[in-house]
Amino acid sequence: MDELEILKKDWKKNENAFDQVTEKEIYGMLHKRSSSIVKWILIISILEFLFLRLLDLSIFLDDEYSNRMKEHHIYDFEKFVTIFNFVVLLVFIYYFYRNLKAINSSSSVKKLMQDIINTRKIVKYYVWYNLVLVGITSAIVIYSQFMYDKNINHLYDKYQLFFILGGFFFVIIILLLFWLFYRLLYGILLRRLQKNYNELQKIDF
Amino acid sequence: MKSESEALFVKQLKENQNIIHKICRLYTTDADAHKDLFQEITIQLWKAFPNFRGDSKFTTWAYRVGLNTAITLYRKKKRTIDTIEFDSTFHKVTQDDYNFEEEEKLKLLYSAISELNDIEKALVFLYLEDKDYTEISETLGISEVNARVKMNRVKGKLKKILNP
Repeated sequence: MDELEILKKDWKKNENAFDQVTEKEIYGMLHKRSSSIVKWILIISILEFLFLRLLDLSIFLDDEYSNRMKEHHIYDFEKFVTIFNFVVLLVFIYYFYRNLKAINSSSSVKKLMQDIINTRKIVKYYVWYNLVLVGITSAIVIYSQFMYDKNINHLYDKYQLFFILGGFFFVIIILLLFWLFYRLLYGILLRRLQKNYNELQKIDF
Repeated sequence: MKSESEALFVKQLKENQNIIHKICRLYTTDADAHKDLFQEITIQLWKAFPNFRGDSKFTTWAYRVGLNTAITLYRKKKRTIDTIEFDSTFHKVTQDDYNFEEEEKLKLLYSAISELNDIEKALVFLYLEDKDYTEISETLGISEVNARVKMNRVKGKLKKILNP
């Protein structure tokens, strides 16, 4: 007998031996695009990390700027914040990576929904963490400028209220810029995740 | 509107899922890879679904898209899934019709098939599915003559692998 005929006989025999996939599972597969959104979150966070942390490091490599920080008594503070931030961001990136793995391997709609919620939560923490840190560090940097900058500190003594208000608005503006930056980078992705989540919800009930 | 076509797609896919399972069976060697490929084909079918106008049968269309996906995916991952090991647990045989000699031969055949290239596998698949050369040529986008020539070559190749 022809080899292929033997094979065909076996092929036909096992034609219906496959574990059948349910409609719900198919819907789940169609909504796997969540994983590509989460992949982008990971990629963007890594790029952001590389770019912004290089900027951080460049500040310390610049002698003039380092000396100015020492004059303003914030050198040690900046060093501490930079290292602290470095570690925390790496932890966040690790969590983004874990989310991606989890979504890739999730097999049920329920699990996928849970993973989407987790991802959104972590991205939100990430953005909040960044905003809080930016707020605190910029406030301290501005304050030290007022206190120790030779060109400014005598004016600061005279117009204290004016300077404090000015500094306050400056920090708000910086925060607003960062907030816009994150909204643009992650907001779109989070909305897509939410849309996907809503569609999954329709399937599940 | 959108969810309506989604429901239609899911229903048709569920009814015809064995086509995809069979493609997976020929292109993968273990259950995990089978699942992955099944999912990938499903996603590709869904992406292509807006262009499926129903002028050909869902099954014919599914054969074409499914094989294309398997072939391109196979090309991309060639080095990682290029294994000739045949997972016998994946290949279900009932106790009664267990025939040692035939079983050995089948094992050899399946491992011989895993040594074929992606296009050859597609040919074997369509042959096993009882497709005639007109349909094979349409599905794979090659001429009928070419399909026959290639098929003969595959038969020769399998014979050679089995009887070195």
